[in-house]
Amino acid sequence: MSAAQLDELDRQLIEALARDARVSNRKIALDLGVTEGTVRGRIKRLQQDGLISFTAITSFGLADSARMAFIGVEVNVNDVRSVAEKIAELPAVNAVMITMGRFNILAICLFNSLDNLLEVASDQILSMPGVHHVETSIAVKTVKYNARVVRITAADRARIEVLDDDA
Amino acid sequence: MRHEHGWQLRALLMPPRRRTRSGQLDGLPNSEFVGSMSNDFQIDDADRAIVEQLRLNGRATNQQIANTLGLTAATVSARIRRMEEANKLRVVAVSDFSAHGYNVLMEVAIEVDGRPATDVIEELVQFPEVFAAHLVTGRYDIDILVALHDFDELPDLFLNKFGKIPGIRSMVPAIAVDVIKYKFDVAPIDAREEA
Repeated sequence: MSAAQLDELDRQLIEALARDARVSNRKIALDLGVTEGTVRGRIKRLQQDGLISFTAITSFGLADSARMAFIGVEVNVNDVRSVAEKIAELPAVNAVMITMGRFNILAICLFNSLDNLLEVASDQILSMPGVHHVETSIAVKTVKYNARVVRITAADRARIEVLDDDA
Repeated sequence: MRHEHGWQLRALLMPPRRRTRSGQLDGLPNSEFVGSMSNDFQIDDADRAIVEQLRLNGRATNQQIANTLGLTAATVSARIRRMEEANKLRVVAVSDFSAHGYNVLMEVAIEVDGRPATDVIEELVQFPEVFAAHLVTGRYDIDILVALHDFDELPDLFLNKFGKIPGIRSMVPAIAVDVIKYKFDVAPIDAREEA
């Protein structure tokens, strides 16, 4: 995680687009007192550098996956990265970090029933080679949460480039 | 391990949901996952297909989406507006941790003693370094995600800020050495975001 060099205009741009990504370049340019070309260029650079991406956040999926769980995973140190990448491929898993501390991997998943959670934690993750132990903790109440700050992966960036090429 | 068999009871005893100040401080959605959604809002296959296209590229024009899906641009525009107005959809820019200069990420499990965990968490979320906070079942009572610009900020946060909150018995960190994935495309959407 390297520190990005962003100036005040970049930050204002990110803030405006975090509220509504479908606002036109013209409107943003007008609001921020810069040219449309500047806005277009800045957005392109931020995307290419993997600092922002544009997506849809919905609440209607919540009816299907209404609860969040933290799954701490103990893994052979040699297998940590490969297991973390495999866990990241599970559709219910929204976040995966390699950690130092109580466990080697922390996965955050959304689930809709305890059976569903059992399937992810015990059947899918625990059965991966190299995994010794999983410890699950369920969020009873979420008091603070931010869906706007994410990890933009190399795969996300590759997809943006494909979209650009298509355009 | 003291909560091993007690969490279901604790969940039932949890006081009713209430609004917290944190959401207004940072202007972000701030509600629990269940309970705030109404089921009278219907979406159909066209809505789902539009959302799918927006997940791929939130800046795609109505016309581009319309062409891909065989709809008209007016339909796409109206469908998006309907979902947005019902607080079911937000099309947004998400930014990477590094765009905010967050170079240190850690999860911290907190054990609370002699005070309701709901009160302790209210104090924790006042700190901007606390990026996410949940009341959880299991061995610990609170699970937070801390985002820092630099490790130098750690002593002050733990000793002077968290250290002054009554009721924290212990804090056990797991330091993220690599974030493989962190993206939530389903999240509570709060009407207050409009403000």
